[in-house]
Amino acid sequence: MSKPVKSQWNFGELFPAEPTRKVLSVWELTADIKRLLEKSVGSVWVSGEITNLRAQSSGHVYFTLKDVAAQLGCVLFRGTAAAQRSLLADGQKVLLHGDVTVYEARGQYQLIVREVELQGVGALQIAFEKLKQKLAAEGLFAAERKRPLPKYPQRIGLMTSSTGAAIRDVLHVVQRRNPGLEIILAPCRVQGDGAAREIAEAIRTLNEFGIRNSEFGIDLILVTRGGGSLEDLWAFNEEAVARAIFESAIPVVSAVGHEIDFTIADFVADLRAATPSAAAEIITEGVFASREFVSEASELLRRAARRKVDREIENFDSVAGRLTRLHPRRQLNDSLQRLDDLQSGLLRGLKTAAHSRNLVFENLAGRFLRAKPALALKARREALHQLEKRLHLLGPEQVLARGYSITTDAATGRVLRVSAGLKPGQKVKTRLTDGEFSSRVEP
Amino acid sequence: MSKTARAGDAAKGGVPFEEALKKLEGIVEAMEADDLPLETLLARYEEGARLVKICQEKLAEAEVKIQQLEKNAAGELKLKPFETDVEP
Repeated sequence: MSKPVKSQWNFGELFPAEPTRKVLSVWELTADIKRLLEKSVGSVWVSGEITNLRAQSSGHVYFTLKDVAAQLGCVLFRGTAAAQRSLLADGQKVLLHGDVTVYEARGQYQLIVREVELQGVGALQIAFEKLKQKLAAEGLFAAERKRPLPKYPQRIGLMTSSTGAAIRDVLHVVQRRNPGLEIILAPCRVQGDGAAREIAEAIRTLNEFGIRNSEFGIDLILVTRGGGSLEDLWAFNEEAVARAIFESAIPVVSAVGHEIDFTIADFVADLRAATPSAAAEIITEGVFASREFVSEASELLRRAARRKVDREIENFDSVAGRLTRLHPRRQLNDSLQRLDDLQSGLLRGLKTAAHSRNLVFENLAGRFLRAKPALALKARREALHQLEKRLHLLGPEQVLARGYSITTDAATGRVLRVSAGLKPGQKVKTRLTDGEFSSRVEP
Repeated sequence: MSKTARAGDAAKGGVPFEEALKKLEGIVEAMEADDLPLETLLARYEEGARLVKICQEKLAEAEVKIQQLEKNAAGELKLKPFETDVEP
């Protein structure tokens, strides 16, 4: 038996060896296995549960992915995105994408993990966050882009399931608050596979309809569905729906699920309402609020007109009053009245004066009467008589009776007492007791 | 409100609710502010009464009008009445 020549390069079957057993080194065998695995299995997606998770100081993360019957060693190298690494947790059910390979040093096959996805609800939540960030970055949620809703919409597009609580609630509220509102319904499925596409299509159809028909302008679109789980509402978190809402030329109100549910559709829409009923209330608020005003308006008009007219009448009366007072007749009346007043005053004054004079007179008369006039009169007569006698005695008659005479100048009547000044031929008059005679002065 | 909707109303021969309401509000305000001369007061009052009537007619609609939009095979959009079991 010859010994095969050992060469540094073992090319295996390239150089047909002698038909003896082939002996590989561990390294060689392992390399074979590795090559085989990588070629025939290679890159895979595998699901399982994480156990035995540990991070080494090197930064690499090791864990075991297991299910009921088997397990698989996994490694997540330090360079792999932190987002993937953060999803790893003991007990977490995951979907892993990676490469099957062999770690020669240990002689173990393992999975080098490239991507990690959570299974179940967690996965949906992650997807939600990712899409939300992506669309936010693109500006689909921007506040500036949100359009104001028309206050008095006449016609709205309603995008929801044709059965169920949402459409019933919306119709009830509209019936109560603004039955005149016209509704164009674009029914669609609101959950399940393909629902997102139907929703997006319905929004586009309403837009198309609103544009094509000038008589049927649609003032806003309400996108709505009732409450449900995250999976139920999932269609409203899909990108297709978000884009359809963003591209809608007609303002969109979104009311998906309950108060606490926030979907991506809610973020993109021009307005989010907490529930379908709340959305209907907001939409009908303008007309509903104006009802009261309209019903009161007649009364307000009447009252305002009444007030104005009353004020005008007041003004008019005031001016008319002033005019009347300025009238000449009025002034005359005023004067007459003044005259009356003065007359009365005068009369009163006279009466008063007369009255007081009367009093004085009566006073005097009284005193007079009380003074016994007859007696006084007699006494006065006596006194008078005495005076008369004395006067008579002193008078010229007595003197003349005694033989004296009075001579006066005939011309002047002057009594002549002395002879000086007498002129011959001067005419004189002489009075004797029983008469008088004229004579001339003898030279 | 969209121009098209307003045009639609005008086509139906009436003033749109929003327009009538705004005019009515304007008239009530002007009359309450009391700076209208007496001559225009009556004219405004009459117009106000007319607008009240228009608004009340629009508010008097008792039943929700709902129609379903469909796209037929030819891609045409059609409206058809929607059967609803919603009680007023």
